[in-house]
Amino acid sequence: MDTRTETGIPDPIVVTGLGSIVRGLTAPMPSADADTALDVGPWLKSRKMRKFMGKQDMLATIAAGLAIRDARLEEAWLKERTGVYMSVGYIPFERSDIEPIARASTKEGRFSMDLFSTAGFEQANPLLTFRCLPNMPIFHVSLNYGICGPYFVTYPGVGQFYVALEQAVTALRNGEVDAALVGAAADQANFLVRHHFARLPHSVNTVFADAGAFICLEKRSTAESRSATVKAELLDYAVHYEPFDPRESVVPFQEEINVSGKRKPADAMGYLGPTSLPVSLDCAHSAGEGGELQHSTQTMDGFRTASRWRLS
Amino acid sequence: MSARVVITGIGIVTPLGNDIEGFRGRLLEGTSAAGPITVFDAAALPTRIAAEVNAAALPVQTKDRKIAFGLVAARAAVEDANSAGVALAKHYAGDSGGLSLGIGLELFSMPDMVSYLVKGNASDEENPLTFLQTPSDMCIHIICKEHELRQPPLTHISACAASTDAIGAAFHLIRDGRRAWMLAGGTDSMINPMGVAGFCKINAMTRRNDAPQKASRPFDRDRDGFLLGEGAGIFAMESLKNARTRGARVYAEVAGYGNSFDAHGISEPHPEGEGALLAMQRALDDARIRPEQISHINAHGTGTTKNDPVETHAVRRLLGAHAKNVTVNSTKSMVGHLISASGAVELAAMITCAKSGWVHPTINLENQDPACDLDYVPGKARKTSGEYFLKNSFGFGGQNAALVVRIPA
Repeated sequence: MDTRTETGIPDPIVVTGLGSIVRGLTAPMPSADADTALDVGPWLKSRKMRKFMGKQDMLATIAAGLAIRDARLEEAWLKERTGVYMSVGYIPFERSDIEPIARASTKEGRFSMDLFSTAGFEQANPLLTFRCLPNMPIFHVSLNYGICGPYFVTYPGVGQFYVALEQAVTALRNGEVDAALVGAAADQANFLVRHHFARLPHSVNTVFADAGAFICLEKRSTAESRSATVKAELLDYAVHYEPFDPRESVVPFQEEINVSGKRKPADAMGYLGPTSLPVSLDCAHSAGEGGELQHSTQTMDGFRTASRWRLS
Repeated sequence: MSARVVITGIGIVTPLGNDIEGFRGRLLEGTSAAGPITVFDAAALPTRIAAEVNAAALPVQTKDRKIAFGLVAARAAVEDANSAGVALAKHYAGDSGGLSLGIGLELFSMPDMVSYLVKGNASDEENPLTFLQTPSDMCIHIICKEHELRQPPLTHISACAASTDAIGAAFHLIRDGRRAWMLAGGTDSMINPMGVAGFCKINAMTRRNDAPQKASRPFDRDRDGFLLGEGAGIFAMESLKNARTRGARVYAEVAGYGNSFDAHGISEPHPEGEGALLAMQRALDDARIRPEQISHINAHGTGTTKNDPVETHAVRRLLGAHAKNVTVNSTKSMVGHLISASGAVELAAMITCAKSGWVHPTINLENQDPACDLDYVPGKARKTSGEYFLKNSFGFGGQNAALVVRIPA
């Protein structure tokens, strides 16, 4: 089990930037902009890159850009001493990309390799390869913000987000990086992702959201040296795992968010996948809430995670 | 706390076989594993060749081949680690073990996709958990369950750099005292209709269908893309102190790891090899060694027009005048590109050959590209007496990872 107490460590890890974008929620959220279209254009170094981007790529790029802007980090500062640590959601091939290939490869209601190799192959968009790869969100973040530092990219849920958080905290503590962008992006309105959740024995919330969220972490001394505003401080976190065989058992998903001792109904947040912690932090900060944010989950894939943050 | 970290078990599933001795022998002989694709009927696709694993011979069969490869390689790594000294499970009682695995994406099955679109869901005879696509993370949890690895697993999805990243992350976790022992490596198979078609669409793969064994040609003037491979490589890793205490056989010491972004192009590396250089330099810094101490590099060496000269340039920038003293080879010339598993299997190739005093050849290097001007060990294996070896893996999307390993002669 990995449990790390940050309380009392002389140079605490602090949050200097937050950014999130959420789509598809039925309940309003205080910060994450549920109505914003995915207009990634302003965040791109070259608008020609837009055609290579899937939804997760755009969610990640926008959220990271918001967090970087919020942290007032300049590109020259970001370049080699900033790491990116992120979790993406399940791999979301777009139905509009796949369906024409499948339809053109169908003969008498069944898949035909002959047709796939000819008519189906003709239907395949070469850009599909770029839009589906799970490492592309982190590529677009590195490209558009000029980051050459270390990275950790994982998938698909909250447990893995906490593993990414741990990797980032360790890199900061070891002096490998001066800043860590820790985030997640999940396209969950996707038909393949829905199919995946539908087949699990325990359903999660009925509201699935598409979301991207990043936080910028630094040691307090680093933040102070560049006069950055501290938005929150990491007090402690825990990542526990119980091995399980997914062919035999899946536990139900549970999430709890408390701000200053007041429980926030996780249902109102919708199911945010790996983005739930950074979205919660962004929402609490934007709502001007002080005190302490506590976040805990039991995931369907064997993780139990928890963290505490002091909100500034 | 900073522990020395060693590899004490190796498990492989490769197109050149699944036993270490046989694998090493075929590598040193310069054997190509390439042949026509048999996993599905690729007769009408532009690329119809690959380097396949003999999956039918494996003790585990899964619909998604990479899951079986991963399970078999993990078992083999544990068995190998247990073959000398006190068994891992006995020595490490409790919750100390973990997994760090690079794995490929959950590519959907085309026959299932057609069925899904026509009928809307799985038929009664289909397993609902694997119908349409098998989530890749399933492999991680099954391995953790089978070997009772109770530390939070790390799943790496940095494409072709994933398994090198996985081994590097495990190295850091053990070095820093955050894990006592780990299984680390990668597994992948993209030899399926959508995988092959996707790579064909972006002209990444060789089309030398009439001469499969000549198709993978890293650093050669006439290279025309990579040969797709598949497989898995998983290592048992622990501290040197623990390895000695339990009387384990030590294959190699992992001494340094670094990774980086190119922050450049989606499908082409930085022309000056900036990201590659950063990753290699970080690995050397992490190992606290100088470039002059490197004796051999197992290259990413894909055989694509873009990778090979840029990797060569980055190596030259790293090593300077010392480059003339260093041998560089490409395992992909024989087993093809195993994508997320490539780094791990190539590291296994480098370690097992070097442990017996050899570096394997780069095959099919008949007309060296003038832009690739290092000593690539063309055609024939060569004796080595080096100590520090470097392993490079560069992912599509500009994610670069490098490992320094110490293999005492």
